[in-house]
Amino acid sequence: MNPAVHGVGTSHFGRRPGTDLVSLAWDAVSDALADAGGGPVDAVWVGTVFAPAGVAQRVLRAMGITGIPVVTVENACASGTTAFAEACEAVRTGRYGRVLALGIEQMSAAFDGAITPERTDPEGATGLALPALYAMAATRYLHDGAVTREQLAAVAVKNHAHALHNPQAQYAGRYTVEEVLASRMIADPLTLLQCCPTSDGAAAAVVAASSGGVREVGVRGIALRSGAPWGRRSPHVWGHDVVRDTAADAYAAAGLHAATDVDVAEVHDAFTIGEIVTTEALGLAAPGEGGKAAGTGVTTLGGTHPVNPSGGLLSRGHPLGATGLAQVAEIVRQLRGDAGGRQVDGARIGLVETMGGGVSALDGNACVVAVLEAP
Amino acid sequence: MTVADPRPRIASGPGGSGVVAGVRCQACAEPVAYAWPACPACGGPIAPAEFGPGGVVWSATVVRIPVAGRTPPYALAYVDLDDGPRVLAHVPGGAAPAVGTRVRLRADAPGGDPQVEVAP
Repeated sequence: MNPAVHGVGTSHFGRRPGTDLVSLAWDAVSDALADAGGGPVDAVWVGTVFAPAGVAQRVLRAMGITGIPVVTVENACASGTTAFAEACEAVRTGRYGRVLALGIEQMSAAFDGAITPERTDPEGATGLALPALYAMAATRYLHDGAVTREQLAAVAVKNHAHALHNPQAQYAGRYTVEEVLASRMIADPLTLLQCCPTSDGAAAAVVAASSGGVREVGVRGIALRSGAPWGRRSPHVWGHDVVRDTAADAYAAAGLHAATDVDVAEVHDAFTIGEIVTTEALGLAAPGEGGKAAGTGVTTLGGTHPVNPSGGLLSRGHPLGATGLAQVAEIVRQLRGDAGGRQVDGARIGLVETMGGGVSALDGNACVVAVLEAP
Repeated sequence: MTVADPRPRIASGPGGSGVVAGVRCQACAEPVAYAWPACPACGGPIAPAEFGPGGVVWSATVVRIPVAGRTPPYALAYVDLDDGPRVLAHVPGGAAPAVGTRVRLRADAPGGDPQVEVAP
């Protein structure tokens, strides 16, 4: 059976340390179920990274979703998209008829500031905070002449401006390249406005077989991979190859001839360099051209390949486990023509990409790429 | 709560320098900075191997945010050890060395972190 997204929902994203997880989840799930026309679900996949043990059952019982299979998955920043991929696969194979995928995260309850590096990981124990991992990629791109500091900043300018049209975004604003570069240095060369914020939020999708409904968004292809060993064996920066390879799987599953057939994309921009590397790895930009694409407006709303119309992780916010499903929700709204002031006109093919994780010597813990199609 | 130290083990090398005591795959020759039970690239059998002390900076940064147990700012580099793996190392002095800089692993770095200094 061909899976389709029948409903999506998202909470507001932001720092909400006093908010109950039940309330966060309800905002997303109630919207998604209502959007899907109500009714029960047969199973639930939940993506989260730092939420307390038992969070899935704790939030679901509060809304009467009990006595069915509930599976919690952790795949770093791709946890929500992993839950979505599993929901799609469960429907495709006929294992379940109607599946809820939920992503939930309350980062403000887990960390005072940036994510604490994992002390059981070699590089985490050596002090490699996540901004530093991306900073290494940015430094290398600058050295190789593959990006300029201004092009890095242009990604932040673009995504913060996109979020002005997204009422659920954590923050938004019209910044200049100069303002982005002048913000506080976090890990050279990445400044504060080039880093995603600490976020709380939830997002959900209801997946069931396609029945040709006018609001159903088809899942043409979806793929999931863990990273291969990364080091000097790859000529690319961290996080490039896993995105390239997962995208190749997803494009093949979707029968997509070229990435440039994609009308709108939501990609993993936890840091500005991440969006640049990812647009190249996905084939939305030629190798070494991702920075130029951001700097010249190619990836801006109204450009030929709009990327992160929601504001992306940088501006919508990045509650890790919820992020993937927030991306799915955005692409579903875009493909239905429901995206308001951030609508990509006539979007027919949408792409979701999430990758993440800081496990040493791996090119990312996980990557998910999905190709969705308008009703 | 005690956890095993996951960082690469640094052994004494020539002239007061350090070497990473890791393993090399006997099937595909992949160098690995850790004493893992099998090759991460192909799953093949491994044998102990030492890497360094020399290497080249692949990339570097300076961390300027608070990190648990650390005092910012501090410089980190990914170093491609000669004929060896890419390892994460601290660089004393607070400045990030340029990409391509020749560095040398130290044997006796404080705190047990891998640490490199610019090669003389």
